[in-house]
Amino acid sequence: MRVTTVLRVALRRISSRPFQTFSVVSVIAFSSGLAVALFLAASGLRLGLVNAVAPFDIAAGVRGSPYQLVLNTVFLQDVPAGNIPADAAQRLSDDSRVDLAIPVALGDTYAGLPVVGTTSAITDVKVKGVPWLRIKEGRFWDGAFEAVVGAKAAALTGLRPGDIFRTTHGSIGGEEHGTPFKVVGVCHSVHGPYDRAILVDIASVWAEHDHGGDGHESESGGEVTAMLIRPRSYADAYGLLASYQRDQSCQVVFPAQTAVRLFSIIGQGEEFLRAVVRSVAVCTLLTTILILYWSGASRRDERELLHILGVPHGALAAISWLEGTMLLSSGVALGWIIGRAGVAAAFGLLGNATAIEPTIPLSAGEISIPAALLAAGSIGAFFTALEHTSDRQP
Amino acid sequence: MTEIKGDAEKIPSIWQISGESPPRPLLEISSIRKDYRQPDGSNMTALRLGPLTAYPGEAISVTGPSGSGKTTLLRMLAAITKPTFGEIRFAGQDIARLGNAEAAWRAVSVGYIFQDINLLPDFSVLENLMLASEISHVPVKAAESRASSLLTRLGLDGRKDSRPAKLSIGERQRAAVARAVIHRPPMILADEPTASLDAENARVVIRMLTELCAERRALLIVATHDDAVRRALPRTVKIGSEAAL
Repeated sequence: MRVTTVLRVALRRISSRPFQTFSVVSVIAFSSGLAVALFLAASGLRLGLVNAVAPFDIAAGVRGSPYQLVLNTVFLQDVPAGNIPADAAQRLSDDSRVDLAIPVALGDTYAGLPVVGTTSAITDVKVKGVPWLRIKEGRFWDGAFEAVVGAKAAALTGLRPGDIFRTTHGSIGGEEHGTPFKVVGVCHSVHGPYDRAILVDIASVWAEHDHGGDGHESESGGEVTAMLIRPRSYADAYGLLASYQRDQSCQVVFPAQTAVRLFSIIGQGEEFLRAVVRSVAVCTLLTTILILYWSGASRRDERELLHILGVPHGALAAISWLEGTMLLSSGVALGWIIGRAGVAAAFGLLGNATAIEPTIPLSAGEISIPAALLAAGSIGAFFTALEHTSDRQP
Repeated sequence: MTEIKGDAEKIPSIWQISGESPPRPLLEISSIRKDYRQPDGSNMTALRLGPLTAYPGEAISVTGPSGSGKTTLLRMLAAITKPTFGEIRFAGQDIARLGNAEAAWRAVSVGYIFQDINLLPDFSVLENLMLASEISHVPVKAAESRASSLLTRLGLDGRKDSRPAKLSIGERQRAAVARAVIHRPPMILADEPTASLDAENARVVIRMLTELCAERRALLIVATHDDAVRRALPRTVKIGSEAAL
């Protein structure tokens, strides 16, 4: 029997029973999709955290919780704990071990999105040698009360170059500042929390808060929430860390290290997720083999007929194996798409609601799930086919 | 336990009457027995059969009560199962020794009709015929021509594109006849082919089978417990408790 005939018979058996095929493929797709989604959720969350901290080697802020400092400055979350005095910020900027110092003033918002007062030095930040913050539309500010909008902030608010807006002190419901900002540019996505940010000249933030002596505890007269620092070398980074360990005016932290510590707490949850992924994968496999077994068992008369027509056992097994493997492949491929799409949608929502923008590149770990399911399922289908085509006595 | 007593050799054949030299036998069965192992480890004899010789063009009915081993005999003749003891020779070849060539031999040498499932449900009547031809290595052009001719003759011209589920039982069995003979095998085995049919359809199916086999000088062996079928075929082999020629 020719290979094309074997393939044709197997394909016809699949295509001529659309409901059965749809049911089987759906079961495999949803269960394998769940395994893929759980894996992506776990690794995507970690990757999102890593991406978020990548641009910032060192963060310096008021003494207190390093987690809060990192949440404030890197993830643009939570309420800032306080400000670094202007002289301390200046001292950090002037430190010979510092290559780049970016002041950050936080506390204001627009439409619930964080307004980040900073300087044009932020455009000098690079990740793996590539400029981190790039203008997609318009230009970077060169004057007071000009703003550049992050990619997601632009999408959420509809702000475009030329638009005017007023910032609010604190979160939504806070007091609106008097002087409007003019949008002069929109950034490319940085795939991180700063996509949700509206960047403005820090001097304008100071001017807003100095204006009329409104009594806010936020930035004024050179005070900053934090300094994001690029050291000249690793040695300088550790030197800075050591220098500021006993400094009362501010603390210096490595955001990556802090995020890792933070993630190790979450990591226990990730381990649980991975265990669930493995369990779901095994359940998917067993379900698939069971489906293939019963599907094959229901076709005993057809196999008997084909055998009596002169189809050898090997070809019969090949038809059953092909049928099973095609169903499995379709289900796993669909499951992969569902898993990826589901996680992308979930993380899209998560990214809008929070500061994390997990980008999920294809990884060996992700591929290993459908690959393992396919391999193990194919082996299962093979043994199922052998079981069904073994010589039976009448 | 079932057995057959006597065989065709006891009846004067047309060759003996005409004085012509008979053709070489197509089928030669020595005394055979088929045992199956029971779950408790003991053996159960499903069939015991005395010597039997059959010639090309003969039409034989095999009768006997249910469980007498009719299906087992046909399966052994088709080389699906092997006799526990004894030998079955087809055109001089011991079919128990076909080994890996068993399926290929069957594809060319045997046409088989079951009581019910005779067509693949996912294929149309014509596709079933073409698939059977393909398995038997009949060239496509020849298969198309034969299929067209057979379907017309069996009154299935308008049903060639129908799936088996859309056919009446009678149409299905006629399609089964076409499927069994399209590759022109020298031996047709039919296992209760009329069991599901009314008398008229049964008569049509047996008439078609005998005509088509006679035209190609194919040996036809029909397992049946239908007296009408037995009477329609010139030679009968009885197995089981009613064993007698």
